[in-house]
Amino acid sequence: MTRYRNHQPLFGFCLLLFLFTRPVLGTENQADKECFESRDGMSQVKVRQINPELVNIKCSSTTGGVLWWGDPFAGTIPMGDMDIEADYSNEEAVVKPREPQLDRNKMLTICSMACHDGNYVPIPHTKNPRSLKMHLDTVPDAMNLKHGKGNIWCLDCHHLVDRTKLIDNFGYSISFNQPQKLCGKCHGQVYRAWRDGIHGKRIGMWDKGGKKRWWVCTECHNPHDVEQEERNSGFAQLRPEPAPNLPKGMVNADHERMHHGAHPDE
Amino acid sequence: MPKQDSSNTKDNKLSSRRDFLRSAGNYTVASLSGAAMLLSDQKPAKANVTWEEHFQKNYRLMTDEEKQQAIERLETRYSEEYGKQVTVDGSPSMEGVLFGYALNIQKCIGCRRCVKACVAENNQSRGDEQQIEWIRVLRMEKGKFSETDRDQHGYPESFGVQVGGNAYKPAGVVLEGQHYYEPEQVPEKDAFYFPMQCMQCEKPPCVKVCPVRTTYRDPDGIVVIDYNWCIGCRMCIGACPYWARRFNWGEPNLPKEEMNPVTHYLGNRPRMKGVVEKCTFCVQRTRKGRWTACVEVCPVGARKFGNLLDPNSEIRKVLAKKKVFRLRADLNTYPKFFYYMD
Repeated sequence: MTRYRNHQPLFGFCLLLFLFTRPVLGTENQADKECFESRDGMSQVKVRQINPELVNIKCSSTTGGVLWWGDPFAGTIPMGDMDIEADYSNEEAVVKPREPQLDRNKMLTICSMACHDGNYVPIPHTKNPRSLKMHLDTVPDAMNLKHGKGNIWCLDCHHLVDRTKLIDNFGYSISFNQPQKLCGKCHGQVYRAWRDGIHGKRIGMWDKGGKKRWWVCTECHNPHDVEQEERNSGFAQLRPEPAPNLPKGMVNADHERMHHGAHPDE
Repeated sequence: MPKQDSSNTKDNKLSSRRDFLRSAGNYTVASLSGAAMLLSDQKPAKANVTWEEHFQKNYRLMTDEEKQQAIERLETRYSEEYGKQVTVDGSPSMEGVLFGYALNIQKCIGCRRCVKACVAENNQSRGDEQQIEWIRVLRMEKGKFSETDRDQHGYPESFGVQVGGNAYKPAGVVLEGQHYYEPEQVPEKDAFYFPMQCMQCEKPPCVKVCPVRTTYRDPDGIVVIDYNWCIGCRMCIGACPYWARRFNWGEPNLPKEEMNPVTHYLGNRPRMKGVVEKCTFCVQRTRKGRWTACVEVCPVGARKFGNLLDPNSEIRKVLAKKKVFRLRADLNTYPKFFYYMD
């Protein structure tokens, strides 16, 4: 008994420690937390305070996805000109630059300075596909390209000389920040729908003339794996947000997994 | 006898008047003490509701001045309650705007981010005790429509138009929508997803049944609720064919630090126990020109929103170019919420 009694203060202390250190539900401080906007790992944003009462984003505590924008235009740059005049021409259009996301591990900066500076690495004379000998670790999906059903390869999209740029049909370079100019070469219909605002996503002001942040192709789609296998949806699978609470007294949701009536196969 | 009779009557009259005065006095004391109790109640949610707020008019019948006063009262109360500067907006409908919404059910991946974004924006009650979500996402089974089902074995008399199934066999889809699906990853291969929220009907059944006319349709097409005038009879919940309305059975649980301080009187201002609420197309945002929270958050761009009266708006382009349907069009509610496929 004496032994147990001696343990009681220790137990109490542990309980207090647990109560004080455990995060109180719903009050966790999200400051400096990193969340993803659309593709996990390729569209990261940090939570920060815009003013004492406003944060730039609110994140899901379960999946880490951004749920809410306090400032939809934070960190954006002007989108640049579109190829034709249309409704959007009078609106202020911005995009979030892709280069900082791609350069998160300083790959773009180092590669273009160290080797791919236009002189050191021999420039390939043809665009004919060949198997990669280097960098298989830095570009994990390079050997498993799922785009174009085997008809395209790296240098159809990436610049021959300048590895920090993409390339168009005439050999001119395209910035990683404007992938729509590259993707639109083949996916014209989707590009037109995107320009009209019925494909893809924009945030900000819905009204005519209002400022809009346009989301560019690679913010949602992985260009090295656009097909995403059989689902053919164009999106990588995500972890869903939690289901609503079950009604009081209901222990599980088995009832809604029941097939009603005779099944066609039976 | 007649004299006696009359005196009797007089006495009766006197006594009844005395009784009346006594009981009236009692009532006065009782009601005063009741009011005093109401005012001195220590529960913050009740104590902070001011006398004026208790007796204000239906929002639609208020003058502009009264509306402004009501808004200022709420701003003061909310700011005190939530420990931050809360604004309550009272913007009326915009001229020449009719809001429309379109959702691409082919694109939706069922990730429920819209549901949670809506909660972050609209100050719903959260937690285990009372969780309110304005959007529900149903997981639907993909149907199996075989050739034999369609052609050979229709109704015995071969009339009626149907796709899949017949009088003896159910159609391909036999699993009803699932609310509580929770797979590791979405989208699943054998499912599609069907989000539902308030359809902002042109002929809303909920407005028809409201006995106190606290819910009504504004000229920009949004069906709104004056929470202060709601008596909590829940007739509208019964009338809505889209399961769009939610009821605050208990005191809503809205943590101070999660509360969105940018609110609208008819929209996301904190609600009280015993009132009905529902999606308002984020009226606090859309009447200021901003997209709704669910449109902004959708990671696949399945949600489109805009002005139906503007022929160049994206919603009109969706209606013109895509295969569009409305949920339960047979009910003649004329929803302003459209579903479409590419």
